[in-house]
Amino acid sequence: MAASIADLVDRALAGFEALAATAEPIADEWQYLTDLDTVWKARLRAVAEARGAELAPPGAEDALEVLVAEAGRITDPHRAIDWMSTLPQVALAALGEAA
Amino acid sequence: MRFMDARPDGRAVVYAHIQSDPLVARAAALLAAATTTQRLLARAVMNGESSDPASWRTMFPTLFGPAAPGTGDPARARSEAILEASLAVADRGEQTRSQFRGAIVEALTERLLAERTAPVRRERRIGFDGRPDEIHPYDVTVEREVAGEAWDCKWGARGIKADVLHQLDDARRGAAEEEVRLLVGLVIFDARRSCEVRLVRERGPVALEGLKLIALEGLDRLAGRKPA
Repeated sequence: MAASIADLVDRALAGFEALAATAEPIADEWQYLTDLDTVWKARLRAVAEARGAELAPPGAEDALEVLVAEAGRITDPHRAIDWMSTLPQVALAALGEAA
Repeated sequence: MRFMDARPDGRAVVYAHIQSDPLVARAAALLAAATTTQRLLARAVMNGESSDPASWRTMFPTLFGPAAPGTGDPARARSEAILEASLAVADRGEQTRSQFRGAIVEALTERLLAERTAPVRRERRIGFDGRPDEIHPYDVTVEREVAGEAWDCKWGARGIKADVLHQLDDARRGAAEEEVRLLVGLVIFDARRSCEVRLVRERGPVALEGLKLIALEGLDRLAGRKPA
C-alpha cells in the first residue's frame, strides 16, 4: 500500500532535521538556520494538515527515500545550509506542491 | 548616470575562463526554457553529492516517473539534458563548481533579460555625477536610456548580504537623485521563501520597496513571461 502524504512529510522533516544538525557548526548563520527551520517546517506541516490522509502520488515515496538519503550524504555544513532550502522544495515537488 | 566597463583585476581574469566555458552557455540555454521543477533539478544536482543519474531521476518523479512525459517528448529530452549538464557541473570539484554555478546564474539572467529588452551587458559599473565611481560591477545590466536595470545574481539565498544590498540601494538612490529611472534587483537561483527570510535579516537600513527580488520560481519574469 502506498504511503500517505503525512508519512512522507514526516520523512522529509526527518531529513531536514539531519541537515540542520550538520549545518549547526556554522555559528554565523544561526539566525538564518533558525529562519529556514521555521518557514520550511511550517510549509511542510501545512501540506500534511491539508492532505495528510491522501495517498502519496506515484513515485513520491521512492523520491523521498532517495532525497533523504542524499541529504544524509552531506557532511559539509555549508552545503547542508544550502540543502536546507533545497530538500523541502524537492519534497514539495514530489508531492505535487508548489514551493 | 553612466554605465562603465569593470576595472580588470585578477579575479576577473580567472572568472572569465569559467564564464566562457561552453558548459556554462549550454546550461544557461537549457535553463532559460526550463520549467520551475527542471530548474530545481539543476539546483539540487549541481549542489548534490550523488553522481548517479538514476537516483536523481527517482527523486524527480514529475520529470522522469511513469506519469512524466515519455522518451522522445521534448520536455523529457530537456529534463535529461539538464540532468546531464548539471552532473557535469557537479563533477568539477567543490571550488570550481561553485564558480560554475555563479556563472550559470549570470548567463541565465542575461539570456532571459535579452528576450525582453536590450542592450543587455555583463560586469558593468554605474557612475553618477558628484559621486566616486563604484569599484564593484553589477553582474548584468540593461543599458536603456529611458529605463536602465542593474542586477546582481546569486546561486543561493545565502548570497544575499548587507554589502550587496547596499550597493544596489546606492545605485537606486543615485539614479533617483539624477531623476533617472533605474530598476535594481537580485536574481537568486533559490526558493523565494528562503530568499525572503534572508533579505529581511540582511536589509539593515535598505528600503526593500526599491529592490526587485527574482527567485527560482519567478525567473521567467525576467523575460517578461509567466512561469512555464
